[in-house]
Amino acid sequence: MAQVLVVDDSSTVRNEVCDFLKANGLTVSAAVDGRDGLDKLKADPGIKLVVSDVNMPNMDGLTMAEKIRSEQRNASVNIIMLTTENSPTMKERGKAAGVKGWIVKPFNGPAVVGSLKKLVG
Amino acid sequence: MDMNSDKLIVSKVLILDDAVGHFDGLKAFCGDAGLLGIRPHGDAGSVMSILRSNVDLGGIMLYENYGGPAGEGLGLAREIHALRPELPIFLRRDATASVAGLTERDAAMFRCAYTLQDLQHLRASLDASIFSRVYPNDLVRGIAEMTRASLESLFHGCDVDMETPYLVKDRIIHGEVFTMIAIESNWCRGYMMLQASESALLRLLGEDCEEREPMGFRELNNVLGEATNLIWGSFKNRYVGTTDTGLHGQTQVPIIINHHRNYISFGSDDPQLCFKYTLRPQGRGDVAVPVYQRFVFNLSWSPEAFHENPSVEALVESGELELF
Repeated sequence: MAQVLVVDDSSTVRNEVCDFLKANGLTVSAAVDGRDGLDKLKADPGIKLVVSDVNMPNMDGLTMAEKIRSEQRNASVNIIMLTTENSPTMKERGKAAGVKGWIVKPFNGPAVVGSLKKLVG
Repeated sequence: MDMNSDKLIVSKVLILDDAVGHFDGLKAFCGDAGLLGIRPHGDAGSVMSILRSNVDLGGIMLYENYGGPAGEGLGLAREIHALRPELPIFLRRDATASVAGLTERDAAMFRCAYTLQDLQHLRASLDASIFSRVYPNDLVRGIAEMTRASLESLFHGCDVDMETPYLVKDRIIHGEVFTMIAIESNWCRGYMMLQASESALLRLLGEDCEEREPMGFRELNNVLGEATNLIWGSFKNRYVGTTDTGLHGQTQVPIIINHHRNYISFGSDDPQLCFKYTLRPQGRGDVAVPVYQRFVFNLSWSPEAFHENPSVEALVESGELELF
């Protein structure tokens, strides 16, 4: 069982974020795109927080967020986007999809770890 | 690089002019024109060696008698043009600023002919062929800033230096590995690429991961892909309007190519749809040339929405389409 699901098509980012969260006491699993993220979330009811990129092959992060929110059993799952995207349009789309927070890459673990831990609950 | 200078972009030109005292004059002219003049050390063979190497060039300034008696330079021009036809060649002549007297085929190799007495003619031709596109200084400066920041965030412990940006006319790929990503807005459409040597980058990354497994080429591809993604995102956030229908509305992921490994990644592990065709000249049973076709729907794939448009013939017959 993992507390956090990290979704990013870049293994560089996946490894960096997962390693950091593990080093800070969280249990973590990873997915390579939105479609894989949905599968991993469905298979692990322990996940309380999804940290996801936006631009990914097969299924982008916002589409994944919309699909997560569309299912009642995911109501307690928080979603944070970790992305190079910074436009108000994208953020609005994220809000509408039920995204809880937005982090612009590159990832700065120490700056956000406290907030992420709170979202895990 | 002096980011405050008026001229942020230069271009390298190969100067093939061995007439005594002319090189320095031409080099000074190049300085005024925003060009970096370089010249080979050695004979014509070294010229071809330079052209085969990874030297980004904007063009070549060639003296018609370079390397020997009258007309020697023309033979070299033919070799250069055959090897790198995309490079504009500017021909210096002794007597006349025209290609008069050359065969039509030879004349077509040169962007212009000039004499030392009429360098303004050369300047105009250089501006038209090398500096034909104006890149705003703020854009050049901004790209440099965001790229440096992105590389520094991925290559920990590295200083990122940069030479003066330059324009090229050639189509060289540096090294074996490169990434490509589409850039689209209401003011530009195209691609950004990062190109590098696999072995040099692997060595560099190996020094940064002493406690981990040694990096392989796939990990290297990922690092370069993420660098591409970071720069692309910064570019979009800074230069693409929020109302643009291009970048902000579409998902993009870097395409990663490694020549050395015959490797190309579109970011997805899904199988690609492939076709192989073979071209066989009629009456030549010994010749068979394969052509491979691949479809990679990596960004979106919804086969449930697949449909085929009505044929043009049917539309014409039904009177719904008027062809002009």
